[in-house]
Amino acid sequence: MKRYDLIIIGAGPAGLSAAIEASKRGMSVAVFDENARPGGQLFKQIHKFFGSKKHKAKIRGYKIGEQLLQEASDNVDVKLNSPVIGIYPGKEVVVRQEDHIFHYKADSIIVATGASENMVPFEGWTLPGVIGAGAAQTMMNLHGVKPGEKILMLGSGNVGLVVSFQLLQAGCEVKALVDAAPRIGGYGVHAAKVARCGVPFYLSHTITKAEGTDCVTGAIISQVDEHFKPIPGTEEHFDVDTICVAVGLSPMSQLLMMAGCDMVDDPKRGGQVPVCGDYGETSIPGIYAAGDVSGIEEASSAMIEGRMAGICAAQYLDFCTEDEKKESLKTLLEDLDDLRQGMFAPKNRGKKIEKTEEGIDISQTLLTKGHLTREEAERFPGVIHEVGVHPVIECTQNIPCNPCQDACPKHCIQVGNDITALPQIDPDVQCIGCGMCVASCSGQAIFLLNEDYEPGFASVTLPYEFLPLPQKGSKGKALDRAGQPVCEAEVVNVRTAPAFDHTALLTIKVPKEKMMDARFYKGLGCTEGVEK
Amino acid sequence: MEKAADVLIIGSGIIGCATAYYLAKKGAAVTVLEANDSIGNGGSSRNGGGVRQSGRDPRELPMVMWGIKNLWPYLDEELETNVEYTQKGNLRLGKTAAHLKTLQKLTDGAVACGLDVRMISGDEVRKINPYLSNEVIGASWCPTDGHANPLTTTLGYFKSARRLGVRFITGEPVTLIKKEKGRAHVVVTPDGTFEAEQILVAAGYETRALTEPLGIDIPMRKKKSECLVTEAEPPMFEQMLGTAEADFYGHQTKHGSFVFGGSTGLEMFGIDDGPAQRSTSLSAPCTCRGIMKYFPALSDAKIVRTWAGWTDASADGIPVIGPADGVPGLYIACGFTGHGFGIGPAAAYSIAELMTGGTPPVDMEPFRCTRFKAKI
Amino acid sequence: MIKANDRSNKMAPFVPAEDDDLIICRCEEVTKGEIRKAVHEGMYTLPEVRRYLRCGMGLCQGQTCGKLVKGIIARELGVKPSQLEAATGRAPMRPTELKIMGSEKGGA
Repeated sequence: MKRYDLIIIGAGPAGLSAAIEASKRGMSVAVFDENARPGGQLFKQIHKFFGSKKHKAKIRGYKIGEQLLQEASDNVDVKLNSPVIGIYPGKEVVVRQEDHIFHYKADSIIVATGASENMVPFEGWTLPGVIGAGAAQTMMNLHGVKPGEKILMLGSGNVGLVVSFQLLQAGCEVKALVDAAPRIGGYGVHAAKVARCGVPFYLSHTITKAEGTDCVTGAIISQVDEHFKPIPGTEEHFDVDTICVAVGLSPMSQLLMMAGCDMVDDPKRGGQVPVCGDYGETSIPGIYAAGDVSGIEEASSAMIEGRMAGICAAQYLDFCTEDEKKESLKTLLEDLDDLRQGMFAPKNRGKKIEKTEEGIDISQTLLTKGHLTREEAERFPGVIHEVGVHPVIECTQNIPCNPCQDACPKHCIQVGNDITALPQIDPDVQCIGCGMCVASCSGQAIFLLNEDYEPGFASVTLPYEFLPLPQKGSKGKALDRAGQPVCEAEVVNVRTAPAFDHTALLTIKVPKEKMMDARFYKGLGCTEGVEK
Repeated sequence: MEKAADVLIIGSGIIGCATAYYLAKKGAAVTVLEANDSIGNGGSSRNGGGVRQSGRDPRELPMVMWGIKNLWPYLDEELETNVEYTQKGNLRLGKTAAHLKTLQKLTDGAVACGLDVRMISGDEVRKINPYLSNEVIGASWCPTDGHANPLTTTLGYFKSARRLGVRFITGEPVTLIKKEKGRAHVVVTPDGTFEAEQILVAAGYETRALTEPLGIDIPMRKKKSECLVTEAEPPMFEQMLGTAEADFYGHQTKHGSFVFGGSTGLEMFGIDDGPAQRSTSLSAPCTCRGIMKYFPALSDAKIVRTWAGWTDASADGIPVIGPADGVPGLYIACGFTGHGFGIGPAAAYSIAELMTGGTPPVDMEPFRCTRFKAKI
Repeated sequence: MIKANDRSNKMAPFVPAEDDDLIICRCEEVTKGEIRKAVHEGMYTLPEVRRYLRCGMGLCQGQTCGKLVKGIIARELGVKPSQLEAATGRAPMRPTELKIMGSEKGGA
């Protein structure tokens, strides 16, 4: 029977990170993954990540995956198409490979199996056309297939918001974004990207029926009361062929349960999770959990958790000293702590937050409609008015993210040491209009305003991630934060650059009085939604 | 000590649940204490579902034959539960001359007890079950054997007993049975004490630790048995199956899935992992190879789940059922040795008769707890 | 975990609901009403409901419906879902053909 110092189950962000740390310290490591490609969910993530530089912020998820694979490639043996079918007594791992099962033994095991999507039952939920948001992402971003033409998205958490935006990018029509909760669950900046494309948000609504006999042909939603019961008479019909469900994730922790680890049902961590120490140590010495399997978080935290578990396994088997372990874990724990701050921190789940850390009232429109109003925007520190070109930062919630701070070559944007603080603009520094901040903002919440573009006109530079790119000189409509046309607009500049990493900067000319409304552009000739 | 009942049953397996049911039918006030959080969490939820007479020790044949004639065919109705009882016979398969010799011996014993069981040829076997490979050269055939769903049967008895007013308390492990004025009368749990006129211990292997302090030791060993179940397949056959060598046993359920158990030969020597009852890595592969030797057509069926459970293997391979001789008020039902499901209803019915002063339908003498003697 | 659970506790009578015919476990086609009814018949734990109805015992082994079933049981019992014991994790984690399970390499 083949033996390893460490067997890692799952080659996603957590598993690969663990493998890198363990193999670096001289352990023999095998990583088993049931998929044909490594990287877990990372390769489906085409958006830029949040966080700080050390968390690989502003890098797109799939590129983080490539970097991770590159780092792992020399020393780590990743065995793909290899589902682990069980963890048996004596740290025995049984794996299916091709048409056989193989018995392996390990002196330590890291389970990094990730999570699976939750489902919500409603009339017709078993019809073809009702799919998980993760499935939609796989179809679009891995296989290049549109999941449908007309979509209803269920769930306003980050997954629902991010996937809605990706569906729009893929050329689908997102007819509505529906959530039973009274407030949007995900980042406001993600919601704002979707809202300004014209997608209506239906909070305090739930789907009551998927219509169709052989497949989805429509959906009915209803408003819900405070007990989440549909209110009769509030039904609304949508003509859709696909219903995307993004109602949260559940840790895939069955292997840990089978291994005999103590488990707990912790709703804050997404369900059935192992009882774990700070670094993923389960109740069984030598068995660790890392990533979503030990509690649903982001890929960024999964990578740190993976590294921590890898280091712990190394020390457990004496591949590094206790002091080395403590030293490495200290930095990682600080990195992880940074990510677990702000309004969306795991500890704040379910809490109703009314004010930012700075004491500013949070935009209620953002929480219910997915966008700020012009008036609300004005009260945040990133929104200023100056002569000439300057950034407008519509970042209004405390999330751990600061790439904008490093992006400005003039250091005109400050977040400060508290990574969750709202960005501020230094009025003494003159903006040169380079647009680096616009492209660097993972939330696409930074715009450049030239309040004096031409007499009576201002220009608005906005991040644009749709194809084909509008041509300079083309004309169309400027859309407001809710995706409604507000005025005529002319594209006066289109900038792309490797440093922008596929975010194009579109500069549109609008009447000066509309400069605080115009936040998106729709070319002429498009019948609806965004330019395709 | 306010928790009083006529009868207190320790263990909510099929024996505990069914005895509670038959006692309640006779009007007794019954309380059942279960150590686990779930009803029937031991062997009753973990066996292969055989309801068979053939292959059994002749001493337990009259009891199981009585049950198959008088209880099993009516259980669905009686318990208002689909117990999936299927009486389409049992094939015990042989591939070598030695197998046939083993089967012949079992058959002779059963015939002597009046059971309709006979040896048949390989061709006759394939007439009954065309999916069997040509390697099968003969079998014992008992047309009145069958199978049922042990999960719904046990829970069906539970449900019906509860409906008749039986009190079930789960998560209530018994630590001690105490005598009062010469009678077993009080049961102690971490949460309190219960008293009853009669106490039945039907706790599998754990029975031993409860009766031993009262001077009754049942010679048993814990033996881990393992099973697997496939996804649902189209209907193929309805018989219960076994082999002379115990490579595997099992059946296709009415739902379509195949439930099979098997033996690696190592189960007597496994590590005692207590209530965890973890599967071993060797068992399912071994059972799969066993199945495929007989049913090549099943090699593409997908296994969806495997599990393990403890059986209480008694020194002579048949259960102890009846009064704990010398301890008035105490009754025992344990040591079913891995074949307690099919005989369960009849065993429970018999105990209920004994405990209420009635006459059990069969002679209970072979099941006495005092029968274990040194060989010389 | 719900301990010291008296199954004779009085429970509000079973009242049929409009969505009782909603399929919860799609692998085994078990409805919400069947699950609710099972609770009223005494099945207070996830293992019991699974054994009684086969929900969560099909191809996906409850990956999809596990949380839903738990939620329904909890609601009928008036407890939090997190107070209920989870279903056991059992091999194989993915459905595996007999011929593959039977073909061992690197075994003891």
